[in-house]
Amino acid sequence: MVSERFASRWDTLAFVVCVGLALVARALPERVQESVAAGVRQTLLVPFLLVEQETSRLRAAYGEADSFLAERDSAALRAIRAEGLAEENHRLRELLELRDRLPDGGVSAVILRQATPTRGLAVLLSKGAHDGIRPLSPVITPHGLLGVVRSVDPSTSVAVLWTHPDFRVSAMTPDGSVFGLVRPRGGDPDTMTMLLAGVPYRDTIPTGTPLLTSGFGGVYPRGIPIGWVVGMLDEQEGLARSYVVQAAAHPSSTSHVIVLVRHLADIGGAYAPAHDQ
Amino acid sequence: MTVRGEGLRRWSILLFLALLHFGLRPWLGNGRFAPDFLLLALLVYAIGERPGRAVIAGFLIGLLSDSLRPVAFGSAMLAYSVVGYLAAWGKAVFFAENPVVAAAFFFGGVVIRDVLVLVWGGGTSGAGLLWQLGIWTPLQGLATAVMGLAVLYAFRRWLGLRLSG
Repeated sequence: MVSERFASRWDTLAFVVCVGLALVARALPERVQESVAAGVRQTLLVPFLLVEQETSRLRAAYGEADSFLAERDSAALRAIRAEGLAEENHRLRELLELRDRLPDGGVSAVILRQATPTRGLAVLLSKGAHDGIRPLSPVITPHGLLGVVRSVDPSTSVAVLWTHPDFRVSAMTPDGSVFGLVRPRGGDPDTMTMLLAGVPYRDTIPTGTPLLTSGFGGVYPRGIPIGWVVGMLDEQEGLARSYVVQAAAHPSSTSHVIVLVRHLADIGGAYAPAHDQ
Repeated sequence: MTVRGEGLRRWSILLFLALLHFGLRPWLGNGRFAPDFLLLALLVYAIGERPGRAVIAGFLIGLLSDSLRPVAFGSAMLAYSVVGYLAAWGKAVFFAENPVVAAAFFFGGVVIRDVLVLVWGGGTSGAGLLWQLGIWTPLQGLATAVMGLAVLYAFRRWLGLRLSG
């Protein structure tokens, strides 16, 4: 009876200590949180992340092999069987084409998938400091800007996506006449919409106008597509207007990305063929 | 079965589930509703352990989860700790070695984990929160419950369970 009571108290104590530690971890400064997370990723998680990276590589190879076999089949069979693979191959081909068009300084990486419900806000990438990735390296896709690297380990890195509440990027219209600050609109990351705020009241942006990174701030090169304007949200009388922006890059349908590891002033040329189509 | 042999078998199941989480999940389509093998490992562990050990296991799994995606760092530690503790306490009441009850046990674990991570961690609100809790969480709960039953049936002897039905 005594030992049972002791065990029960021990259970309660363990619960209180663990919950207390979790609360302390939540309250720690972001810099400390990131160093703890990096420490765990570089020790306990190394074998598991290796398994996941190898699995992702195997999956890509499997996709390519199936695609090769499918090309030998009739067009009809290929259309039926390899629709998903064709989609993935199309994405990879777009990525390769974008990397070819970019000046030197792009590293391709795989997004490693995780299970927690915050997966739509940040992702773990399969490349890290060994590949030249640093904090604040922009993360792009063939469709446009996806996010920015927040922390880096030797072989992996964490990137926050444009859906993250802290994400901000300076934007401009293609002719460079209107500037503003783009941030996530909030709500469901799957809504794919952002908010362009701080547009001077004297300027109006027609619906459908593409928005590109302006290059201000020194983090993102000029010319990366962010999205396009789908309507005006509100206006502060005589001061500024806000617009709803449809994002160009969708986090949940992206499996491969390019991380810009060298500072580039303007990469609009790499996206020009996509705009011309 | 010796106590040591039982422990080794239990740990090998947990390691197997952890490997499935990182090795199999990428093949299972959309990550929003693919089963969560780490949570499953915690719940399977909690079935045979005291709440104190289950809460420590939950805390460690939460630490791994938070490290993989440091958004709202600490929220997964809290959520997994609570899930582990509740699962170890609740097994006596809910885990009646009945498949339906066992499935509900796994489903409930996913729901409680997601509610705590989202509410405590922030980052998602309004329609996004409703969409996650109303659609994706139940789907992932169902997938995890189905996978959990498969694991229980496959390893019922090693876990010392007598599942009916």
